[in-house]
Amino acid sequence: MTVNVHAEQLRERLPITVPASSERLRALRFFLRRRTAVVGALLVIAYLLIALFAPVLSRRDPQVLDVQARLSAPSAQHWFGRDDVGRDVWSRVIYGTRLSFVVGTSVVFLSVLGGLAAGLAGGYYRRLDDVLMRVMDGLMAFPGIVLAIALVAALGPSVVNVITALAVVYIPRVARLVRGSVLVVRETPYVEAARALGIPDLRVVVRHVLPNCLSPVLVQGTFIFAAAVLGEAALSFLGLGVPPQVPSLGNVLAEGRLYLHQAPWLTLFPGAAIMAVILGLNLFGDGLRDLLDPKLRSEGVEKLSGPASGPRGASR
Amino acid sequence: MKVYLLRRVLAVIPVMIVVATVTFVLLHLAPGDPASVMAGPDATEHDVAKIRRLLGLDELLPVQLVRWYSRLLVGDLGTSIFLRQPVLEAIVDRLEPTLLLALWGLLIAVLIGIPTGVVSARYRNTVVDQSCMGLALVGLSIPNFLLGLLMILFFGVWLGWLPVAGYVPLERGLWANLRSLIMPAVSLGLVQSALIARITRSSMLDVLREQYILAGRAKGLSEPNVIYKHALRNAIIPTLTVIGISFAVILGGAVVVENVFNIPGLGRLIYSAVLRRDYPVIQGVVLLVAVKYTLVNLVVDLAYIAIDPRIRYR
Repeated sequence: MTVNVHAEQLRERLPITVPASSERLRALRFFLRRRTAVVGALLVIAYLLIALFAPVLSRRDPQVLDVQARLSAPSAQHWFGRDDVGRDVWSRVIYGTRLSFVVGTSVVFLSVLGGLAAGLAGGYYRRLDDVLMRVMDGLMAFPGIVLAIALVAALGPSVVNVITALAVVYIPRVARLVRGSVLVVRETPYVEAARALGIPDLRVVVRHVLPNCLSPVLVQGTFIFAAAVLGEAALSFLGLGVPPQVPSLGNVLAEGRLYLHQAPWLTLFPGAAIMAVILGLNLFGDGLRDLLDPKLRSEGVEKLSGPASGPRGASR
Repeated sequence: MKVYLLRRVLAVIPVMIVVATVTFVLLHLAPGDPASVMAGPDATEHDVAKIRRLLGLDELLPVQLVRWYSRLLVGDLGTSIFLRQPVLEAIVDRLEPTLLLALWGLLIAVLIGIPTGVVSARYRNTVVDQSCMGLALVGLSIPNFLLGLLMILFFGVWLGWLPVAGYVPLERGLWANLRSLIMPAVSLGLVQSALIARITRSSMLDVLREQYILAGRAKGLSEPNVIYKHALRNAIIPTLTVIGISFAVILGGAVVVENVFNIPGLGRLIYSAVLRRDYPVIQGVVLLVAVKYTLVNLVVDLAYIAIDPRIRYR
């Protein structure tokens, strides 16, 4: 008879465990008690809805020109006015928001994937660790936006290349974080038990080590999302990111910059959109971090009223 | 202590090797032949061959890599074909505005960030704390280039108080120089001050829970004495780490913000180099910024030892 001792199974056999559903409910209640986190969650939901339903929210094609009406002020038909070639700014902002969502999601997905692979490999196999982490340190020696500019310059300006460049920038951040938790988790008795039972390395890593390293990655993911949205906007604003005809918040801001005096709405509306997105992601990320920090959760309300902070994005 | 210092300084070497390799790879990432990309669509076969020879692209890849390392060791970053001058020279010419901008930005970040964090921690959970931290959250959500645009709109266009763009070199007077840099420096610094304020607040709160703070209060030290002399000194370590990170972000952000304000620094240089596909210049600027950042981190780590004697014995 094989005896497979999983931590989860052990926990299930212990009489004191709380059923998972009520645990989840408590977590939800904790999250909802923090007003800032709720505001963040609402902003993120709105962001998601705008990204999903962009064609419904804006019936006008963001690329259709109407030079006669260039730089016309916001009106009942064109809520955010028109840009320098008469395109509808409202639909450009909506579609730009959608693009930023696509970029953010893809960058988070790729950098978490790459970071998990490198972090797990480095943390679990000490022989790989030195080489992998030196490479990550080297990549982190470049300020993010500078490395992204250089990569996009080499690869050429396109949406895919912007995503690739930003993912390369954020892989080391995830890898460092994951490696840190793997170093702790791999020394725990349940990993030792799993290894003693002769379970193959890959299975130990995926089934036992990985799940216990995920929660800091989840929090970091929201901050990487925000950083990727900012990164795309900055690259496109400089004219080095996505091609100028593609509606992107950075592109709209770049056009607006030339007409700051005549048409400030070209700057103000997309600017407000970026700020709302970043603010939402930051608030949501803060709430998520506090939720996943067991110390904070048991401490109760006293510490909760002020936004707690920690080294955000500073995992080195 | 000496061992720690030596280890820390030596740790810079592998980072530099990776940095040098990554910048080397940048040139070869480009789809197709970098020489013909640089030469442009109208170039003759002869021009392409000339550029290829100039960049050393006609050698084997390992040979190129060794050449690259050995040239870097003597500080040779190659030659810009478009600027017709050595890359290092082009960089040195444009260093002043970027460095001054980054320093002013960092100064603003620290001067706003640390006091805000300390005050928030001292009056925690009061209206003061909540409004400071609320503002910090909003501050964290503004992209630096957007803040720059908004300031140009407000102070430059509507109020007309400050020059809309441009740079006045230091040799034409400190005041004129400062006036041209104040808006870009605030765009860079304000966002970072929000980050610094948040970290300072949370590490102050941690320190204020310590026994020696209780002891200090018990023996009747005044509250400012406890906060500024005993707590702040110990709370400054995590803040220093963030200041190091902030400096990197400011250095990177300067590349973007210089383009908003038309400041002829490294940011303008790399921007025009990207548009012209001037790879040696791109490589040089990227390399230099990474080296600067690594050295700043080294200085931050060494500063820990000066501030916190406990680290010496670890």
